[in-house]
Amino acid sequence: MRRFLVSFLIALLLGAGIGLYLGWVQFPVEFVDSPASALAQNEKDDYTLMIAGAYADDGDLNGAIERLRVLGVDNVPAYVQEVTERYITNSRGVDDIRLLVDLAEGMGRLTPVMEPYRQINMPGQGS
Amino acid sequence: MKPDTLPEFDHTPRVAERYQRPRSFISWTGVILGLILGIAAGLGYTWVFDPVEEFDTQPWQLNEADRAQYIVAVMLDYSHNADLNLATQRLASLRLPRDFIQEVADVACTLTTEGYANNSSGLRAVRAMMTFYQLQGRSGCADTLILLDDTPAPQVVRIEPPTPTLTPPATKTPTPGAVDRAAGTPTLVIVPTSPPQSDFEIANIPTSCSASRPGLIEVQVVDFNGQGIPGQQVRVTWDGGESTFATGLKPERGPGYADFEMQPGLSYVVDMPGRADPSQPLTATSCPLEGGGRSVITYRVVFRPVG
Repeated sequence: MRRFLVSFLIALLLGAGIGLYLGWVQFPVEFVDSPASALAQNEKDDYTLMIAGAYADDGDLNGAIERLRVLGVDNVPAYVQEVTERYITNSRGVDDIRLLVDLAEGMGRLTPVMEPYRQINMPGQGS
Repeated sequence: MKPDTLPEFDHTPRVAERYQRPRSFISWTGVILGLILGIAAGLGYTWVFDPVEEFDTQPWQLNEADRAQYIVAVMLDYSHNADLNLATQRLASLRLPRDFIQEVADVACTLTTEGYANNSSGLRAVRAMMTFYQLQGRSGCADTLILLDDTPAPQVVRIEPPTPTLTPPATKTPTPGAVDRAAGTPTLVIVPTSPPQSDFEIANIPTSCSASRPGLIEVQVVDFNGQGIPGQQVRVTWDGGESTFATGLKPERGPGYADFEMQPGLSYVVDMPGRADPSQPLTATSCPLEGGGRSVITYRVVFRPVG
């Protein structure tokens, strides 16, 4: 009986270790039906960039704000400012930065660091 | 015949063979039982009680509503930069179980029937989706609910002026410009014309799904101020028939109101005879009710004055 108990307990500990490894590392829970607020930061940035592109196309500020609310941010203009400044700080693509600066400016969040990326429309030029 | 010797009787008691082997330190029964229970407990703990925290969620993990919003964003960005590779790459990241372009068409259909396109922002988004999937040869119910482009392209009519005749010989006092008129080939005058003008146009065709008023075409004819206009003729045409009726016959629903009950599965076209161009075909399709169950879609066609 003692032999059984010792073997059982050692195997139980070993099995629990294997189970934890499998459950946390090899086969962790995969979440589906997640909200957009749980998106990875790079995916959120990409989504924000898509909305900035749409804003550059149609100038629909309300539509842009509504679509960015999906990300679960409380203050959309402040969020756009944060993303834009991070893009500038990390020296991301100039075209992307310009789109974001355009959106930030539309939301009244143009900061000095964004100024060099502003797109100024000269008379007779399109956007 | 008698044997030489008889077999000797073994006096030692017979013991099972397993008791004669050297005793193992391991109980294999215990090991197997322990492992099974241990692994089960470990998995149960990691999957149920303390699962991996949700972070770095990818687009394919989004719920249906947010995935639709993601598709809208992809399509709006595509309408901005026309980068088909980027758009398809983003759609592929959603790991949709079937043709992802058709999925765009289906999402556009769902959004339209849910009233997403009732404002200009949503309408623009759905149109961007329609442009994308139509270019890829797909179709969806949004095609029948929303016109891709409300503004018809101006038609250009080329008018060939008559061949110029020679001008009279120059006199002593030359007429300014006379030489110019005589020289060269005739110039083409391009006169853009507008399509035939109508008094009214369809402002929009929002949809709804109601159990109390299923399968209706609700028509509103309004003036510049949005006030209903009674007595306006409205015509509904379908395969094999048509019906003409006037607004204002149900005053409790407004002076400019009229409605028509559709038969499920049939398609109808609405117009104001001689005063407004016909709508796109409106199909009496099935739609999901909010509280569960299904009904037939109801269209609300709003005619407004042109201009």
